[in-house]
Amino acid sequence: MEILIYGTINSIALALMALGFALVYGISRIPNFAHGAIYVVAGFITWTFLKVVGLGYFLSALIAILVTGILGALIYRFMLIRVRGMAISEIIASYAIGLAILEGLRWGGFKGMTYTLPVFIAGSVTLGGVPVDIHRLLLIGIGVAVIALLWLFTHYTRIGLALRGMAQDERAALMLGIDSDRMALLATAFGSMLAGLAAIVLLPLGNIVVEAGYNVLILAIAVCIVGGLGSWMGAVLAAFLIGFAQILTVVYLGSHYQMVVALLAIIFTLIMRPSGLFGRQKELEERV
Amino acid sequence: MLDAKGLMVFYENMLALNNVNILCKENQIVGVFGANSAGKSTLMYTLSGIMEDIKKKEEMAGGERITVSGKIQYKGIDITKLRPSERARRGLILCPERRRIFKESSVLENLRIGGYLASPAQANKTLDYVFKLFPALVKLKKRVGGFLSGGEQQMLAIGRALMAQPKLLLLDEPLLGLSPLMQAILIRATKVIRDEQQISILVTEQYARPVLPIVDHAFILENGAAVMEGSRDELLNNPDVRGAYFGV
Repeated sequence: MEILIYGTINSIALALMALGFALVYGISRIPNFAHGAIYVVAGFITWTFLKVVGLGYFLSALIAILVTGILGALIYRFMLIRVRGMAISEIIASYAIGLAILEGLRWGGFKGMTYTLPVFIAGSVTLGGVPVDIHRLLLIGIGVAVIALLWLFTHYTRIGLALRGMAQDERAALMLGIDSDRMALLATAFGSMLAGLAAIVLLPLGNIVVEAGYNVLILAIAVCIVGGLGSWMGAVLAAFLIGFAQILTVVYLGSHYQMVVALLAIIFTLIMRPSGLFGRQKELEERV
Repeated sequence: MLDAKGLMVFYENMLALNNVNILCKENQIVGVFGANSAGKSTLMYTLSGIMEDIKKKEEMAGGERITVSGKIQYKGIDITKLRPSERARRGLILCPERRRIFKESSVLENLRIGGYLASPAQANKTLDYVFKLFPALVKLKKRVGGFLSGGEQQMLAIGRALMAQPKLLLLDEPLLGLSPLMQAILIRATKVIRDEQQISILVTEQYARPVLPIVDHAFILENGAAVMEGSRDELLNNPDVRGAYFGV
């Protein structure tokens, strides 16, 4: 029971961290290595508005998500747009932006244990004999809602459908009037907003530290590689796979090995099935 | 409708289009015939602006240097410098060679994605029209694009292009690799689209025979140059054309 509950919580947390990365990569084929930095920025913005400016929690969170969206758009518009299509340059540029942001924050004094966000609702309940705090339950609800909304958005709205068209064949989408640069900008903004949202939901469970940026990036990459780069539903399923594997490891081997699971998952996936669990596109291409 | 003058396209030093002039009047179906590598697709990419995207991607990847020159007038304005999405917005829609349908999306979704430029009302109306034009697609609505046959994919590709509300439809080799029966269906549909929707159509093909009956005017491309042009009857009665493009 404990494994089931905490496995689900951990899986949803991983899915939240990875969805933004998967979205940006799926649409614009840019691996956004600044993803972790954006995550941490969202945490510090929320903290600033909550603790320094003194706005309400909800409002601070909203501002943080909006700012990260704009930040993502700016990063695309002024930096990534010039290297799009050059895979190595995309990685170097986005990783450099991430490093600059994270180390800039560290230099600016955002370090140590002082920066924490409160949980949304304090208290805990007992589920099947296992104590779970309400914030973690909310996390499940928010995660499921985000996944459902993202699915509805990409299947039923004009922009969402255009994004999926572009993800499948950018040039064919261009022929239908779908401007790829504008869509990639939107995708980067949405992806950054998802990173921001993930930060606001997940950071109250710990401290806001610069190192979280690197961890989130590694976890997001692990989830996306296992799920098949560019496949959003693959990312969600991979999040559950890695999420439960981590919890099982914690229970049977000790929490020390938790991070190793994600890293091993990357290595084994790349050896055994390089296109990930859901590298579906390739199979279809061969058929036609 | 469309008046392209002096189109030249170089891939590095290879001349792909050599001083080509293409004219398509309002409500006409115009054919462009030529063998493989005569420059048909290059012409279509240049007119639709996709060449700009190809050029950009090649530059990014350090590939071929592509040079384009000439002038393209569409509905009386110069669109030579317009971006492809801007041209599409003005009703210049390319239905590409080899169809390029979205393989992971269902038939209905492919059409919905095609309706990006349309208002919701226009999109619904065109959707009904596409299913009326190609009744075979109705029962395939839910099927994933990658699992359609070549003919079904081509119907879908044309339907998807119609969803983008074209005024001038560029059809690049719509009959490629299809059975004579399917070719006949598509040719009939092409004419119906022009007659019912008042959409002008520029169609390329390798073989003139199946398409010639519906065209008003046609050009013949050879090695990147337009070597001959004329009305349907002029081409039908020209012995050179008969020999080269009808296999008579």
